[in-house]
Amino acid sequence: MTNLQASNEYNAMEDDEFRAMVHDWYVENYPDELRFPPNRMHWDQVGDWYLTLAKKGWLTPAWPAEYGGMGLDANKLLIFMDVGETYGVGRTPDMGITMVGPLLIQHGSQEQKEHYLPKILAGENIWCQGYSEPGSGSDLASLQTSAVRDGDHYIVNGHKTWTTLAMDANMIFMLVRTNKDGKKQEGITFLLVPLDTPGITVRPIVNLGMHDEFAEVFFDDVKVPVASVVGGENNGWTIAKALLGHERIFIGSPKFAILAMSRLKSMAKSVGLFKDPLFVERYTRLQLDIEDLFAAYKRFVEVLKRGGNIGPEVSMLKVWNTETQQRVTELMMEAASEHGGIQDGIDTVDGVVRAAGEFIASRPTTIYGGSNEIQRNILAKAVLRLPS
Amino acid sequence: MEDISLQSRIDVLSEQQVLIQDSAVAFIGEDEELKKARASRFVQPGFDQNTWQEMAELGWLGFLIPEQFGGIGLGFDDLHTVLIQLGKGLVPAPFVATAVIAATVLVNGDNEAVKKDRLPALVAGEWKPALAWQEARGSMSVKAEQVSVVDGKLSGKKIFVPDAGGADDFIVSAASAEGTELYLVNKDATGLSIDYEQRVDGGFYGQLSFDQVAVGDKVASVALAEQILAAALDTGRVAASAELLGVMTRALEITVDYTTQRVQFDKPIGSFQALQHKMVDLFILSEISRSVVLQTIGLFDGEVSAEGRAVAASQVKARCSDAALQITKSAIQLHGGIGYTDEANIGLYFKKAMYLASWLGNAAAHRARYAELTL
Repeated sequence: MTNLQASNEYNAMEDDEFRAMVHDWYVENYPDELRFPPNRMHWDQVGDWYLTLAKKGWLTPAWPAEYGGMGLDANKLLIFMDVGETYGVGRTPDMGITMVGPLLIQHGSQEQKEHYLPKILAGENIWCQGYSEPGSGSDLASLQTSAVRDGDHYIVNGHKTWTTLAMDANMIFMLVRTNKDGKKQEGITFLLVPLDTPGITVRPIVNLGMHDEFAEVFFDDVKVPVASVVGGENNGWTIAKALLGHERIFIGSPKFAILAMSRLKSMAKSVGLFKDPLFVERYTRLQLDIEDLFAAYKRFVEVLKRGGNIGPEVSMLKVWNTETQQRVTELMMEAASEHGGIQDGIDTVDGVVRAAGEFIASRPTTIYGGSNEIQRNILAKAVLRLPS
Repeated sequence: MEDISLQSRIDVLSEQQVLIQDSAVAFIGEDEELKKARASRFVQPGFDQNTWQEMAELGWLGFLIPEQFGGIGLGFDDLHTVLIQLGKGLVPAPFVATAVIAATVLVNGDNEAVKKDRLPALVAGEWKPALAWQEARGSMSVKAEQVSVVDGKLSGKKIFVPDAGGADDFIVSAASAEGTELYLVNKDATGLSIDYEQRVDGGFYGQLSFDQVAVGDKVASVALAEQILAAALDTGRVAASAELLGVMTRALEITVDYTTQRVQFDKPIGSFQALQHKMVDLFILSEISRSVVLQTIGLFDGEVSAEGRAVAASQVKARCSDAALQITKSAIQLHGGIGYTDEANIGLYFKKAMYLASWLGNAAAHRARYAELTL
């Protein structure tokens, strides 16, 4: 069966039938010991699962079928996501799947598509993102990592940070400064760089979850071919903004909130909290915050499916989603009583629930991908058009 | 006033929806200063009879009524564009209570003669029924218990009948020996007395006391009455949510406009980040509400079980009730002192939200029903 045939078949299925098929396949193929992982998993844990998904053709549910994706419509995509989160399927190193792939499909040259997309699908290229720098967080356009032209190469020097799972990746997509004069946004270039290039050093950073999930990446006279540029020299900001659109729709997806909610539910069942009407009211409020986000998310995904572009308004999903997720973990903490202060979790019928761990892990969601304060600034200016 | 919703950015409307929406925008544009809304406040019947007639001429009263009974038989898909504008324009007319809820009850009843006789008159604006179903504060039960019917005579009391003063007849649910039935009762029937409660928005609720009141035509028999009532009320909850969406959207538009004009410390106050972030949060609430409204109307226009409709109606009514109150009360704060005066229009939106949010079950009641049906 070709991808296109499979895609048509999935989209033609009844919702319940599709849900059951996905669930059954997870039950059969997803390793039990990896259900509801407490942290982002490293490649040595989750690599086999990445390749299993790739073999099944389910690695890239949102990519169009002609590029090897599942080509799911908005509704099926949400079901796919929901089943995975509810079953506790862990996240793969997915920067290539959610960021680089969609970007190249939309903006890449034919050669770039042909070179990079199959390597993502095969698990040959695992990507990480080099955007932030120690001095350039919310004000990303002030970035200083420089690329100086030397014949048909750039010489790259500088320091990137908050690079998620850089230690597992072999490719980095990054923003570098190619022009120091004029508007800061207009001197930025988008580069694709193999991490084994001489002069690159990766140093893991331990986060509050006591997990080395992200890293710093140092560049010391790194030679990068000029052919590695996407979108032309000094056009990197435009490309980055297009990618941020993908990131924000991804961060706006309800999957993380659903995951947190399913953990809260398991805990509430085990502890008998559904007998408490006060808990039920608060639980229902959160459940509806997520259901309503689903409705909004579908509305945005429909735009993409129609081939339209999503603008700055997508920031609303990120704000709503991440703050809902945090409220879920706050209720979890409260319901956990003393367990809210210990590293280990509570045993439930549905695996271990780590209230403290979830509470900690939801902290950065309102910081990464553009802090929620920045998202609100964007909405105020670009959507409500409030004065400066 | 500029539309700040995401409709034009991300939604796609059919040609027909655009036409209907345009006519509704033009309709409310004629009373942009809300003079009619103000003039009909606190005087019976609490709404504007001429406005009702104009809506009849536009064909709107027959939106949900099949063509064979003089209506146009369209779905929520088209109707919601009108409902949103009615909320934006604070149109003083009991559209949801009469043209949505009462009309839906009649259409789904099992007395064909009543439909043939009454529905065309409703569509033409010549006859207004009001549904009297509620018997206890905070109740969503459609089983009649307080009002009984024995030998064709009604006794008991109904409460929270919206805009009762303008109705010609009431559709009353009553407990017979067999169960709940629905009857028409003339407003001037002997033994029927009506007390009015002043609503904050300027309209009135009626309390109907029946003392051996002779019933008129039967609208629905025992086999159907409760399920018809439940369906019509859930339809009404969705319609009221769409109207609330209009109320909250315009309240936010007015507030964005005001904070852009109002200067303090030599700058428009809308340039201050504290106010901007507050308005962004209200905007997000309004668009979350819009997303749920759009999802729900699609569901109601399709095939769905009674329980599925109840769950969806509670989801949307809970969200829109909460969001409309949150947005309008914050709008008062963002206006400052002028927002607390009766002469500023923002207060009219606040009070309309208070009425619509509490009618047909408030947010807390709908969250409770949602939990009961889904947990």
